Amino acid sequence: MKRHIHLIGLNHRSATVDVRERYALAGHCGPERWAIPQDEGIEESLILSTCNRVEVLVAGRGDTLAQRALENWAAACGRQTVELDAYLYKHQDEAAVRHVFTVASSLDSLVLGEPQILGQLKEAYRQAADGKKTGPILNRLLHKAFFVAKRVRTETAVASSAVSISYAAVELAKRIFGNMSGYTAMLVGAGEMAELAAVHLLQAGIQRILVANRTYERALDLAGQFRGEAVAFGSLFDRLAETDIVITSTGAPEAIIHARDIKEVLKRRKQRPMFFIDIAVPRDVAPDVNSLDNVYLYDIDDLKEVVEENLAGRRDEADKARHIVNGEVDAFMRWLEQLHTQPTIVELIRRGERIVEEELDRTLRRLGPVDDSTRDALRAMASAMARKFNHDPLDFLKNGGMEGEAPLERIHLMRRMFRLDDNPGAPPPRRCKHRS
Amino acid sequence: MALFEQLALGVLVVYALASLCGFAGLVGRVAWLRRAACFAAVGGFALQTFAFMLGSHAALPGGLSLGAYLQLLAWFLLLCGILGWWKLRLEEPLLFAAPPAFLLAAIACPFLHRQLVLPTQLSGYFYALHIGTLFLSLAMIALALGAGLLFLYMHRKIKAKERLVGFQRDFPALFMLDKINALCVAAGFPLYTIGIGSGFVWSGIVWGANFSGDPKEIISLFTWLGFAVLFHQRLLRGWQGRKPALFAIGLFTLCVFSIVVVNIFLPTHHAFVPLNAPQ
Repeated sequence: MKRHIHLIGLNHRSATVDVRERYALAGHCGPERWAIPQDEGIEESLILSTCNRVEVLVAGRGDTLAQRALENWAAACGRQTVELDAYLYKHQDEAAVRHVFTVASSLDSLVLGEPQILGQLKEAYRQAADGKKTGPILNRLLHKAFFVAKRVRTETAVASSAVSISYAAVELAKRIFGNMSGYTAMLVGAGEMAELAAVHLLQAGIQRILVANRTYERALDLAGQFRGEAVAFGSLFDRLAETDIVITSTGAPEAIIHARDIKEVLKRRKQRPMFFIDIAVPRDVAPDVNSLDNVYLYDIDDLKEVVEENLAGRRDEADKARHIVNGEVDAFMRWLEQLHTQPTIVELIRRGERIVEEELDRTLRRLGPVDDSTRDALRAMASAMARKFNHDPLDFLKNGGMEGEAPLERIHLMRRMFRLDDNPGAPPPRRCKHRS
Repeated sequence: MALFEQLALGVLVVYALASLCGFAGLVGRVAWLRRAACFAAVGGFALQTFAFMLGSHAALPGGLSLGAYLQLLAWFLLLCGILGWWKLRLEEPLLFAAPPAFLLAAIACPFLHRQLVLPTQLSGYFYALHIGTLFLSLAMIALALGAGLLFLYMHRKIKAKERLVGFQRDFPALFMLDKINALCVAAGFPLYTIGIGSGFVWSGIVWGANFSGDPKEIISLFTWLGFAVLFHQRLLRGWQGRKPALFAIGLFTLCVFSIVVVNIFLPTHHAFVPLNAPQ
C-alpha cells in the first residue's frame, strides 16, 4: 500500500494567540508530548510547536492518517476534535512537503525570513528522532527541508536585512564602522528599545558601553547589566568625545543634542566619525547634527523606514525562494515515488534470481557431473540473462510511463504482468504454449 | 609570436578573466567568483613579474618600450591591490585594480615592439628610482581614488538614508574605505616626494638645472603640494571621511592630466617618443 505524508496544523494566520495556546503541544512532556501514537497506519510522526504555529506531521499507510492525528491531538489537549478542526489547515503529500520546506525556509513566518523557525524545526526533529518517531520518509523530508532552508538563505536575500528597529540600527552602525570591536557606545536615557540596541551592539562585538541618565542610580543599574560605565548626565558632552555610537531615548520634551555641541566634540575627537541613533519621541538629537561631516544621524522614523524597506525587499526575494522550494519539492516527490516502486523492483530481481537457480539446477542434473569452472560459467550466463531480461521492466518502473501518469498504475501493471501478487511462493510458469 | 608577446597576451587574458569574474562576483554577489577573480589577478601579476624578470621591458633601466611603460603602471596598480587584499583582508582593492590593469595592459599591447631609444641622460638607476617611486605612488593615488569614490557614494547614501540594494550591501564599511585612503596617503606621499626629488636632483646632474620650468615639472609640483596638504591634514588635523576622499579625486585628476595632456599635447622632455615613431 502506498505511503502518504499528511500535515495538519494551525498558525498565526489561521488561529489567534489564545487558540494557539489552547492547542499547543510544546508543554506536554514525556509520553504526553507524543500525542500521536504509532498505530493504525501512522509509521512516523513529528510535532512542531512554537508560539506562532503548532503542526503535526505524519507519514504512513492508509487514508485515515490525518483524522487519527487530529483526534489524538485534540485528545492530548482535552478538547473536541470538531472544535480543533475549525482552525486547521491540512496538507497531503506534495502540498505537505511544500509546506514543510516553506516553513523551514521561513517563508511562512510572521516575520518573513526570521531565522528562529529553522532552529525550532531542528529541535522538533531532534526530539522526534530521539524518541524513534521518525523513519525513512520523515528523516529524508526533514534533512531535505534543512538543505532547502540553507539554499534559500544563501541564494536569496530573504533573510539578509534587519527587520527590527534595534537590529536595523546596529546593521547601520556596521556600515559605518565595519568591525565593531574597539568602539564605544553610549546609551543616553534608558528606553527599552535602546537597551535592546545595546544588547545587539554587544553581540556585534562593541567594546565598551557608557550609560548616561538623569537618574544616576538608573544609569548605574543599566551599566551593571551591560558591564558598562555609568556617566553623570552633566558630563554627557565631555564623555561624548570618547563615544562612537550614541543611542538616545530620553523623555526630554525637546532636543538635548545640537550641531553646535557636536562640532566641539568632533574637534576633541579629531573628526572621528560618530553615529547617533535617536529612538526618542520627541527627538533628543536636533536634525542639524546630520549636516556635520563625519556624523550620521538616524531617528526612529528613519529606522522604521529602513525596516519597512527591508521587509519589502524580503517579500521580493521570497518569490525567488519559492522557486527554489518548488524545485526541491519536485525532486523530493520523485524520490518518494521511487520509494513506492522499491518493493516491486526487489520482487522482480528476486523472481529473476529464483528462475536462474531453478533452471540451473535442472540443467546441471541433465548434464551430469561437471567441473566447477563449467558450473560457474553456466551460473554467470544465467544470471547475466536474468539481469538483461529485467533491465527494461525495471527501467520502465523507475522512469517509464506517460507524463502525469501515477506511478501506482505502473506498479500495478508490472505486478500483474509478472504475476507478483498471484502466489508469491509459486514458481513462475515454465513454458508458454502458443497456439496458432 | 615571440615569447614576450605570448606572455603579454597571457597577462592580458588573465587580467580580463579577473576583471570579468570580479564584476560578476560583485554584481551577482557570488563570493567564490570574487575569490576566483582575486586569485586570477594574483596569477596575472605573477605572470607579468615573470615576464619582467625575463626582460620583456627591454632592458630597464637602460631602455623601455612604450608598451612596457604602460605595463609597468598596470603591474604597480596590481601590486597595490594585492597589498590591500593582504593587509586589510579586503577583496575590493584587488577587484577594483584588475579592470584598469587590464585596460593598461590592453593599451600596451600594440606598443610592445615600439622600442624607446632613451637618451643617455635618461638612463641609469636614478631614472629607475624616479620612475619606480612615482609609478608606485601613482598606483596608490589610483587606489585612494577608488576608495574615495566608493566612500563618497556610500556616505551620500547613508546620510540621505537611502536604501542599499543588491551588491551595494557588500561594499566595505565607510571606516574601511577611509582607512584605504589613509594608508595610500601615508605611503604614497613619501614615495611621491622621493620620486620628484630624485627627478630634480638627477635633472641637475645631467642638465645642469634642477628645475627647468617644464610643464610636467610644474604640474608635478602642484600635485606634490596637494599631496602634502592631504598628508599634513590627515596626520596632524585628523582629517577623515569626505575631505580626503575629495582630495584623492583631485590628485588623481592632476596625475592623469600630467600623463595624458602634458605628455601628448605639450612640449616636454618627459614625452619619450612620438606615437608614430619608426619601430
